[in-house]
Amino acid sequence: MLSFRILDFFIAVLYLSGALSFLLGLIYSSKKTQDKSVLLTIIGFGLHSLDLILKYALGIGEILTQSQFYISLLAWSFLLIYFFLWWRLKLKFLSITAAPLALLIFSGSLAISPTTLPVPGFLQGLWFGLHIGTLFITMALLAMGFGAGLAYLHLDRKIKFKAKLSNVSRDLPSLHTFDRANHLAVIIGFPLYTVGVLSGFIWAAFTWKTIFTWDPKEVATVFIWFIFAWLFHRRVSGAWKGKKPAKMVILLFILSLASFIGINFFIETHHSLRP
Amino acid sequence: MEQQIYLFGLSHKTAAIEIREKFALNGFEPLSHGLMEDQGPVQEALVLSTCNRVEILCVSSEVKEAVQDKALTAWAEFCGQDRDTLEKHVYFYSGLEAVKHLFSVAASLDSMVLGEPQILGQLKDAYRKAVQEKTAGVIINRLLHKSFSAAKRIRTETAVSSSAVSISYAAVELAKKIFGELSDQKAMLIGAGEMAELAALHLLNSGLKDIMVANRTPARAQELAQRFNGQAMCMEKMLENLPQADIVISSTGASGIIISAAQVREILKKRKHRPIFFIDIAVPRDIDARVNMLDNVYLYDIDDLKEVVEENLAGRREEAARAAEIVDIEVEKFSDWLRALDLSPTIVDLLNRGEILARRELRKSLRSLGPDVSADTTRVVEQMALSLVRKLYHEPIVFLKRRAREEGSAQKFIDLARRIFNLDDEQVPPDAHQNRKRNNP
Repeated sequence: MLSFRILDFFIAVLYLSGALSFLLGLIYSSKKTQDKSVLLTIIGFGLHSLDLILKYALGIGEILTQSQFYISLLAWSFLLIYFFLWWRLKLKFLSITAAPLALLIFSGSLAISPTTLPVPGFLQGLWFGLHIGTLFITMALLAMGFGAGLAYLHLDRKIKFKAKLSNVSRDLPSLHTFDRANHLAVIIGFPLYTVGVLSGFIWAAFTWKTIFTWDPKEVATVFIWFIFAWLFHRRVSGAWKGKKPAKMVILLFILSLASFIGINFFIETHHSLRP
Repeated sequence: MEQQIYLFGLSHKTAAIEIREKFALNGFEPLSHGLMEDQGPVQEALVLSTCNRVEILCVSSEVKEAVQDKALTAWAEFCGQDRDTLEKHVYFYSGLEAVKHLFSVAASLDSMVLGEPQILGQLKDAYRKAVQEKTAGVIINRLLHKSFSAAKRIRTETAVSSSAVSISYAAVELAKKIFGELSDQKAMLIGAGEMAELAALHLLNSGLKDIMVANRTPARAQELAQRFNGQAMCMEKMLENLPQADIVISSTGASGIIISAAQVREILKKRKHRPIFFIDIAVPRDIDARVNMLDNVYLYDIDDLKEVVEENLAGRREEAARAAEIVDIEVEKFSDWLRALDLSPTIVDLLNRGEILARRELRKSLRSLGPDVSADTTRVVEQMALSLVRKLYHEPIVFLKRRAREEGSAQKFIDLARRIFNLDDEQVPPDAHQNRKRNNP
């Protein structure tokens, strides 16, 4: 157990130095420092993957019943999506949200004491895996969209109002790139989110013999789904580009984060991760 | 008298274009056009002639008047012009002032467009020519190499050469901020003024492939479209084709607005809200200013662009102050080297260097002899080390003194000695060898 504690600590340190060095690289517009930050994050991600696999393979303390594992997995999915965007869009810039968020969530997973969750029996089933996996990846996509959205709004304002493009803005990618990141987050995110919600209901149907129980988490999720569906529709039909979807993804991310932190930790629900 | 650096010149700061044209020195060769001759006052020379400046750099052991007379006469004669006219406009620097001026020129701090990069290349060409014609000696070689490295240092350490300082280029930079790569974008020129043409050229150079040209006179539209490999149309078809355009450069002579906000709103719908960048360089303006309020539409008029350029230029001027500090430091370094070209400082440096080496080795030897060495042994070893160094350096010093008595060749050997014994503690760049090969074909 101690060796896992040390490994976890190393991962957190790597993420922290990755996040800090990216920020420094941006401030001093040094490409070298930025490259170093990506390298640090990649090493951290590698160790993190190893950590998750080992914990799962060794089945330490029935890993799937521990809240810590899920939160760590969430941090991991953030970086997975970030590396994907980096590869597809050459959007190294999104490190600015990816690394700090992964750090935050990962340290959060270390901070909560390892408690056993009251998880019902159908655990290892397909539905449960789908439910967790898709929703976590959607969350990570929204986080990227959130970062891209903030950058978009900032740059759009600067160009519109003819402000002096300071050093940081000069190094920023173009509006087009940020909009593409938003597009990906919505186009991939919404179907995944839908699958996540549906698999949850199907699982619930098996477990509790009822689909909708007016659980606060369920209500919040369905509410977010409707907003997401609307955004998805506007994006696909081509009615929205640029500012509006940027703002919407920012809103969606804040809502899902609030739902994750607020409901899963503080409200009595059968999604509770409370220790 | 020891050698001195002189510089005579005309630039955009002191002479109008008509004068600079008359006194251009393209093809001037110091050896065959009477500037340098055996036993003449000028020992080394370099000539720089561009459209914004004409300069002659000389090294001479004579007083200023003799060199000036020689240089200006040769200059005026080569150009077939009156020497008095030249004298009225020419500026003159000597010694470290000349070094400073040359460093500033190389770093483009004296250019018409501050920080423009061409001048360094022109100076390198001029130097290459001087090396080929064997008019560059010890001092000019060193001076030019130092001016290139100073310019490089200024370019990497300050932002004096960054950011767009022309209106058409600023427009392209903004377009890149909006669209990223321009290769998939389509542009439309409405009206065909000179500035619009320039902006279109810059866009094409930045990767844009597709240009439409709309103009009141079809012949002119046709002509421009052909030049840009684009598509010409009459003005009536402009609105119809506008939804295809991502970048619109408008410069018509129309007396009022030709594209309204309502029209742009319609166009946006047809484009599925893909962004449009309007560049309105017409006065009075062609495009309704309110279109900038629409989402995904960006409008810059001529004043906005001028402001961007002004800001960039102001940024460059701020950087120029920092660059000037670097020039001062580099001039100081050069002046140290120049002073050391005299014999006595070189001898002092050589002996000091030897003593430092001797004492360093002495410390090592004493340490390995252990703590019980007697005072006598220490003294004997010390004397041996020091006298060995003096004896070793004796012959080179005698050689340098003998050369110093012969006129002319002393500096070459002093410079060589300083380099052989590395008295200036220089870091030799790894590509120094290649550089030498290139410069001495």
